[in-house]
Amino acid sequence: QNLKCVTHNLRKMICTWDVLSEGKHGQTDFCYTTNDLPSSVCFETKEKRVEIPVPDSSSTVTITTNSSSGIAFATKEFEIHRKDILFVPLTPRILSLTPDFSTSTLNLKWSDNGLIFPYGLDAFWQIQILRKEATEKVTQVTYYSKLTHEDIILSWNWTSDMPLECTSHYVKIRCYINVTQFVGPKDWSEWSPVGEVPGKDTEPNGSGVFPQDIVVAVGSDLTICCVHEEGQQIKQMTYGPEIYPMIPLSSRSSAIRVLNASASDASGTNAVCTLSEDGTDGAVLFVGYAPDIPENLSCETSNFLIIKCTWKPGRPSGLYGKRRSKYSLFERISGKNVSCKVNEMNRERVCGFPVLADQKTYDFILGVSNPIGQTESSLLVDLTQRVHPKTPEKLTVSGNSSTSVHLHWFINGSFAEIRLLCQIEISTGHSERKLHNVSMPGGKFSTHTAELNSLRPYTKYQFRVRCSSADHFWKWSDWSRVEEHTTLEA
Amino acid sequence: MAAADSTSATLRHRDLCSRGIRLAGKMRSDVVDLLDTYVEQQGLDASANVAAVEGVPVAAVERWDEQTGTQRLLENLAAYRAFRALLAQMLEEQQEQLGEADATLGRALAAVLLQVSAFTYHLEELLRLEDRGPPGEEAAVVPEPPQLSLFERKLRGLGVLRELAQWAVRSVRDLRQLAKAGSGSGTAASPAESP
Repeated sequence: QNLKCVTHNLRKMICTWDVLSEGKHGQTDFCYTTNDLPSSVCFETKEKRVEIPVPDSSSTVTITTNSSSGIAFATKEFEIHRKDILFVPLTPRILSLTPDFSTSTLNLKWSDNGLIFPYGLDAFWQIQILRKEATEKVTQVTYYSKLTHEDIILSWNWTSDMPLECTSHYVKIRCYINVTQFVGPKDWSEWSPVGEVPGKDTEPNGSGVFPQDIVVAVGSDLTICCVHEEGQQIKQMTYGPEIYPMIPLSSRSSAIRVLNASASDASGTNAVCTLSEDGTDGAVLFVGYAPDIPENLSCETSNFLIIKCTWKPGRPSGLYGKRRSKYSLFERISGKNVSCKVNEMNRERVCGFPVLADQKTYDFILGVSNPIGQTESSLLVDLTQRVHPKTPEKLTVSGNSSTSVHLHWFINGSFAEIRLLCQIEISTGHSERKLHNVSMPGGKFSTHTAELNSLRPYTKYQFRVRCSSADHFWKWSDWSRVEEHTTLEA
Repeated sequence: MAAADSTSATLRHRDLCSRGIRLAGKMRSDVVDLLDTYVEQQGLDASANVAAVEGVPVAAVERWDEQTGTQRLLENLAAYRAFRALLAQMLEEQQEQLGEADATLGRALAAVLLQVSAFTYHLEELLRLEDRGPPGEEAAVVPEPPQLSLFERKLRGLGVLRELAQWAVRSVRDLRQLAKAGSGSGTAASPAESP
């Protein structure tokens, strides 16, 4: 009775049947024939189960059950049509289940057993993640792949909403193959044996609060758990100043759920687990922002030795110390990269980049990253158009005439590539001020001179000077110190 | 001549003791302030229960009143050398964790570290008066802290500062005891004195 045939590979099928009469039976004579076989194929079996080829269209099966003394007492013939044969893929086998505790991610690897199937079949894999001794389903996912007539190792990642340390996680997988050219009914395979990633609540000294010392974005939903020793009780779990309701995970682990976490202080937010017998355990979580796109990126040079780039950091990340946002300046043309030492408390940020020989144009990318994210700003700049000289130094005024003087000053820097425009302010005591512009070749760490004529005799003058680039004005230097000089009598 | 020497040594001893008492008193009030800042800045509960921290010398002592002056100085010196190393460790961790973000706590920690160093030097001076001189520094090497999580480090810091506050109180009493013994009264500590 009830002859059923199932195939796992479309070539062989396993047929099973029942025998109604009670009592002890002997061997069973099993014969089958198909229209492309010259004669029946027969054999004896003790089982009520045989494996025979899947027919192209149908098979005729004759089953003779013998008594224990070998006398045939029941014979039945069956016609098995291809459309009646059930196709069930082989049960998948988990090759590896690897936890990454730092990211709370499970990586599952399994073989798709594609070799035994024609190329191009659609395969669907149902993957279940469970907890609590594999009794509570956390999620079920359907993963799709195409068979390629080869055995391919498939890989799938799942990120848990709670640290993997909190409790054991279990995984099982089954598959369904859409064999379009197979006319019989199709079904899911059996579930694979369960793969397990043990939690810390299974380890003797596994207690602690998890996650430990992580950095997450503001607005994240967090699951924080407290794993304790057998027999200990959790009195309360707090996150920051608040007490949270506890979610039991196992006899040694409970969790709290923090939604839409707000930014933490500089020293992080404490998650504290208060245990019986005055036990305390905890973890620190840093909740901050990904770095903002640097604003107002600007680069200039004051001496043609160093390019100084400045920018505004945008919204503070709320992360400090070794978790702070780190900046680097990359110059695309030269490929040179400089990491910037930045004081996170200064509103304006500064980074120095060396002026490169024979390079006038700089294509900067200011990159910024912190544990939560990264971003960048870029700037293309012609350095000769971004000259902001240093304050002129050692201004001296000399002259042995009643109407003219010579001024000398020094500018720290290497301006040989450009012409300088310097402005001399001439003032006398009665708030009369005149500006005199003079341009000159740049020069390398050199002293510059200018002559002023048509001054009034026997008059006390104050002079000061500032300079900029003559060809492409960008910024004036600061004014030099004032230098006084009195012209001779006429 | 010998009488003159011993008088000046006694005067020097009394001066060191009285200055030490003032220094310890100031240190205590600064440590208490630092504790408040630390608890607030680290987001801790002021009543948090902190298990004994390895490497932190305990201020409480049995039969305090039976200790000799040298014992008191040696125990004080060992403690403050340990605290000097522990506070330096805390300051370094603070810098690594917070950078310039919390200069207030960093400065307060550095100030107390300075006082602990000064007081350590003070104790060494007192021991030099006793002709035996202070023990070498290697005796005070603080064990490398085990790999602690950030929360455990926060609690450890709390434990260090609490114990330091206790030690500052004990040091005041020890030095008063020394000052008294130094002036020849040699009386045992009055019950009110024992910690």
